[in-house]
Amino acid sequence: MGLLLQQIANGLIIGSTYAVVALGFSLAFTVLRVINFAHPDIFMVGMFAGLVFALPGPWGLLVALAAGMLGAAAVGWALERTVISPLRGRDVLMTLIGTLGVAIMLENGMALIVGPDPVSYPNLVPRQFVDVGPVTLTLRQVVNFAICLMLLALVSFYVRATKFGRATRAIAERPDVAAAFGVDVGLVCQVTIVIASAMAGVAAVSVGALYGSAHAFVGLLYGLKAFTCMLVAGDRYFEGVMVVALGLGIIEALVTGYLSSSLRDAVAFFVLIGVLLFRPNGLFGSYAA
Amino acid sequence: MPGFHYFEPILIFTLLNVTMALGLYITALSGQLSMATAAIAGVGAYASAILTAKWGWPFLSGILFAAVIGAAVGALLALVTLRMRDFILKLTTLAFGEALSVLAFNWEYIGGANSFTGITLYTNWAPCVVAALLALYVAWRFDGSRLGFAARAVRDDPLAAGAMGVSLVQVRVVTFALGSALVGIGGALQAHYLLVISPHELGFFVSLNFIIFLLFGGLQTLWGPVFGATLLTALPELLRFTSQYRLILYGLIIVVVVLVRPEGLLTRTPTGRARRLFGRTLLPERPVGVVPERPADRPLPLGLMQRGAER
Repeated sequence: MGLLLQQIANGLIIGSTYAVVALGFSLAFTVLRVINFAHPDIFMVGMFAGLVFALPGPWGLLVALAAGMLGAAAVGWALERTVISPLRGRDVLMTLIGTLGVAIMLENGMALIVGPDPVSYPNLVPRQFVDVGPVTLTLRQVVNFAICLMLLALVSFYVRATKFGRATRAIAERPDVAAAFGVDVGLVCQVTIVIASAMAGVAAVSVGALYGSAHAFVGLLYGLKAFTCMLVAGDRYFEGVMVVALGLGIIEALVTGYLSSSLRDAVAFFVLIGVLLFRPNGLFGSYAA
Repeated sequence: MPGFHYFEPILIFTLLNVTMALGLYITALSGQLSMATAAIAGVGAYASAILTAKWGWPFLSGILFAAVIGAAVGALLALVTLRMRDFILKLTTLAFGEALSVLAFNWEYIGGANSFTGITLYTNWAPCVVAALLALYVAWRFDGSRLGFAARAVRDDPLAAGAMGVSLVQVRVVTFALGSALVGIGGALQAHYLLVISPHELGFFVSLNFIIFLLFGGLQTLWGPVFGATLLTALPELLRFTSQYRLILYGLIIVVVVLVRPEGLLTRTPTGRARRLFGRTLLPERPVGVVPERPADRPLPLGLMQRGAER
């Protein structure tokens, strides 16, 4: 029982980082109909931006988070202007290839600057353990989880309760009708990508602090997982993506704990095949249907 | 000047990639842009490797078996994805490829995570030339055949094609199987050159390379995939003088081509100088409205052909 709860807690923490990246992915796909494969690498850029500005001291974490957010948002905005915006309206696969080209550039560009090997991340959160009931967590895990949950809550609030958020959902449903009702589609697209990138940047710094290392190719791992979460959930409800990502984290942790760690990465794809066969529009439905 | 020793690997990889890209082209012509190319190549590679290394079969039968099993896997995938919409179909093939990769990862008999080793070296440039020429011939014959037209009709409008008497099941299964047979041959030849098969090579990112070949070169004629595969395989080598920047340049070139030439580099209607050299269309497509005398040669009904020709 102790092991079960411990694994579920670990899974929730991993799942919350998947959720943040998957949500950024899903925002870009729902609103712009672009599969943004550069998104995981914007996450990576945020991680290194946080690393550069990581200061020792009590405010270190906040400064690093802000730096990660700004760095990722800046790259995301530049990407939107140069590549994503011209790709809007094209075949979905072309958007995937185009952004994948950007991803290759970002990854190898970063590997050129920091080297291809993992780099150690500064101690932004002290090493210590926290007991939560029967489960023992590190303070870093708790901080990471808190940051990710806060981001998810903020996005949920943004999409449901602000004017821009409503415009975002309107464009997701019918871009032409939204434009006819006076929504500035181009502006909302820019804002969406910038928000998704900023969110990924913040999460990246907290993940860097969690594992204590940063890697130029960290995006590869998150990319496919986030993509899978988005497909399994369908793109109608952003909250659905969060639920699926948290669930995936838990299932992966349980597989690692009880079966074998080499099967861990398989879980996502077996879930994906099952969902595509029986509910091709995702568990929670899609706009495209 | 480096000698043949230096160029042979580049030549071999280029020819094999051309073979597999043409296989994918045949599959994609009926609207099934498979994202499991690397997985099917991997199935062919594992099959041939097991037969030759563990059971002592000769090289040629290993390759032929790779083609057969590749075709079987392709036909199976086509049947599974028969009723799916375009985007979901691509994703299902993607998930299938990843699942195969994971399966190979956990199967000890074929080496599991440690990769399959102990394969005998058979491949040099000669079989690769044969395979590439075979693929080119098959793709060329396919392009102008009844089946090729039926495939384009199914891609452009499955409903109309069905109404005109084209069997969706037959066209999709046969094109997927035919393309996958070529991909299987390519994968097996590559295994007998690299002498090791790792489960990672079955994954999504390797499959994506072949899709990039197709979209980069252009999907409208069979020369598109040939050109894309040749250029993009050789490009990292040609860019070697830029040493550490070459992968960044590679990414940049892909982005620029996607943005500037969304139809791919080679399209059916050439422009500028190429237009004067090659005429108005690149491929000898049967002229619309000319019905051959022999019923066997007669293409599909005119309505469908005109749709295909407009593309």
